[in-house]
Amino acid sequence: MTPGRARVVGLQLASVLVVVAAWEGLARAGWVDALFVPAPSAVALSVPSVGREAVAALADTLAKTAVAYALSVVLGVAAGLVLGSARVFESTVRPFVIALYGMPKILVLPWIVLLLGYGTAPAILYGTLHGFFPVAVLVTGAVRDVDRHLLTVARSFGARPLQLYLKVILPAIVPSVIAAMRLGVVFCLLGVLVVEMFAGLRGMGSLMGAFANGFRAPELFAATALVSAASIAIVLGLDAVNDRLSRWR
Amino acid sequence: MARPLIAIEGVGRRFVTLSGAVEAVRDVSLSVTEGEFCTIIGPSGCGKSTLLGMLGGLVVPDAGRVLIAGTAVRGPDPRSVATVFQDPGLFPWRTVVENIEFGLELQGVDRQTRRRTATDLLGPLGLRDFAAKYPRELSGGMRQRVAIGRALAIDTPIVLMDEPFGALDEQTRMLMGEWLLEIWRRTTKTVIFVTHSLNEALALSTRVVVMTARPGRIKSVLELLQPYPRAMESPEMVSLRAKLWSEIREESFRAMGDGA
Amino acid sequence: MRVALARAAIVAVVLLAWEIAARVGSPLLYVPPSAAVPALRDLLLLRSYPDLPENLLITTREIVVAYGLAVAAGLAVGFALGLYRTLGRVYGPMLAALYAVPAVVWYPSLMLFFGLDAASKIAFGFLLGFFPITLATLAGIRQVNPQLVTVARAFGARPATVFVKVLVPGMLFTLVGGLRTGLALSVVGVIVGEILGSKAGMGALINHAYGLLRTADYVALVVVTLVVVVATDAAASLLERRARRWTE
Repeated sequence: MTPGRARVVGLQLASVLVVVAAWEGLARAGWVDALFVPAPSAVALSVPSVGREAVAALADTLAKTAVAYALSVVLGVAAGLVLGSARVFESTVRPFVIALYGMPKILVLPWIVLLLGYGTAPAILYGTLHGFFPVAVLVTGAVRDVDRHLLTVARSFGARPLQLYLKVILPAIVPSVIAAMRLGVVFCLLGVLVVEMFAGLRGMGSLMGAFANGFRAPELFAATALVSAASIAIVLGLDAVNDRLSRWR
Repeated sequence: MARPLIAIEGVGRRFVTLSGAVEAVRDVSLSVTEGEFCTIIGPSGCGKSTLLGMLGGLVVPDAGRVLIAGTAVRGPDPRSVATVFQDPGLFPWRTVVENIEFGLELQGVDRQTRRRTATDLLGPLGLRDFAAKYPRELSGGMRQRVAIGRALAIDTPIVLMDEPFGALDEQTRMLMGEWLLEIWRRTTKTVIFVTHSLNEALALSTRVVVMTARPGRIKSVLELLQPYPRAMESPEMVSLRAKLWSEIREESFRAMGDGA
Repeated sequence: MRVALARAAIVAVVLLAWEIAARVGSPLLYVPPSAAVPALRDLLLLRSYPDLPENLLITTREIVVAYGLAVAAGLAVGFALGLYRTLGRVYGPMLAALYAVPAVVWYPSLMLFFGLDAASKIAFGFLLGFFPITLATLAGIRQVNPQLVTVARAFGARPATVFVKVLVPGMLFTLVGGLRTGLALSVVGVIVGEILGSKAGMGALINHAYGLLRTADYVALVVVTLVVVVATDAAASLLERRARRWTE
């Protein structure tokens, strides 16, 4: 038996309510230390006091993320087109790409900060580093897997190399590019937040770090909820764009 | 006799595969005059598709040459040759009309003109109500009609068809054959048609070329002067069918022995 | 063979360019390979950081505990959501939505709650490893052909038998892929946690070297940490290949 959609949503809401209520109850009863885990009501009450600061910090973070994201997508798609088209070259450098993709990038973060200082630049570079690889790897695979037959058909109709890219390869990889963009945005935001936590003077990451160090748990929880909501909203927005653009699938 | 539109002069082609070199086509010569419906038939792997690829400029012969209207083929020429493949190869992100427009779009024909050309074709293709559908929403037969429409839209004197109905079920296949015949008889196009099917070859062609098993060579040529539509059960057609089958049977056996 | 040569050439060119650039620019900032190699030797001979073994052990232990917890919880939640359709329909999408949040947003809370010691790193490594394992378990169960389950039932197999003989073999490949990703992410989680704030472990040493501008030592420490990362991934990939052989 599969529950219907309304019932699923109802159960989801009910679950959230139960967890929040239980949490509130535990906090009020003093079973958890309010210093570390504030009651949901305390978190809600902290929103007005933290709101303006948090929204400004979030805007700052999202602006850096937007730049890093644009760079990741443009560079990643370009790299993917090159690597996907040049097979011999791709198979030669593949181990390097995979190694760089899989390497914990946090290890080079101190060095990046040393080079670029504590401003916006390291956040953008590090965010781009996070977003670039998944986009490049996905797009490389998509270009490599473009149906060869479609390319033959296009050539039989006289398509020149540039036309093969514009009329066949680019439209064919649109779904993969969008999937990569969906993945990439979370990676970019993650990279920017990490830099801000590590060395940020501004932005959501440093604000959250400051809340944590100052034991301001309600504010920290409110800020965490705000970033999470923003991230989920961005991903859902990209999903909607995706549905629009791949009606043909 | 009219001057040949297509002249194939002693072409050959080898391919290097993982299991060694394979000679797909050896020393094939053939002339086709304007307005012919010429069918090439033979066992699997007899180089039919390779030969067609040479005509379409997608495969370069190792030996010999192909002349179209007296000029050697040096790559795809969408002004003289259009190709329909067994796999329709429709662009899944394009609607039916957009697929039919494809060749015109590559040639830089303006939007309105190419849309009109494509829309005018929808009727004869039997796709009038499907202009805005995407390929995944169509049946196999409809997809192949779109592919044929895409080839007809660029209005070339020559149309190459590589087993266009090979992936369709028997009934659809027969209907598509009748439909294609109608289209062809209304134009002056020259069709080179590759098939496995004896019935298809006999029902459609003005000439049937039988090829041998690998390496593909021309085994025999059969001229068909019978008027269309042909009564396939007539004694004449039945005996032609038997004759054609005996030619092909031997080659098919050889091809099976090759593990093809 | 030629590919291997080309790859070696790429590595050589990068190292050479790095060496030249570092010497022309600032050797302190860019640490040429000629300076990194002696630093690595000093590190391995326990001259620069005599407490390297203890810290390596701490990091490794954090990874093992975090990953162990992630596997246990991930499998439990994954199977629960996969085998009970209602649970899966209700909580699957919620988990997927949480996965769309960059995990690092949870780290300050974990640090607040668990402090600067190993517990917060373990918690973060656990969190990062948990999601891919859960989602892979779910995906694996969904990809098992329901026909096979029906056939097994028709032959009188009991639920436990179906689980062992049909479900697990059918999903093993996807599951093992998730376990491997989970391990990689647990490792990343522990290292990120250590670098963002810790008193011990490889991350703490890296921060120490960085703070004192001992850049050559920093590079050497990064190299040693990378060896740990590569070693865990190699072990995981070995297991993955084994599993692939079983399923085929």
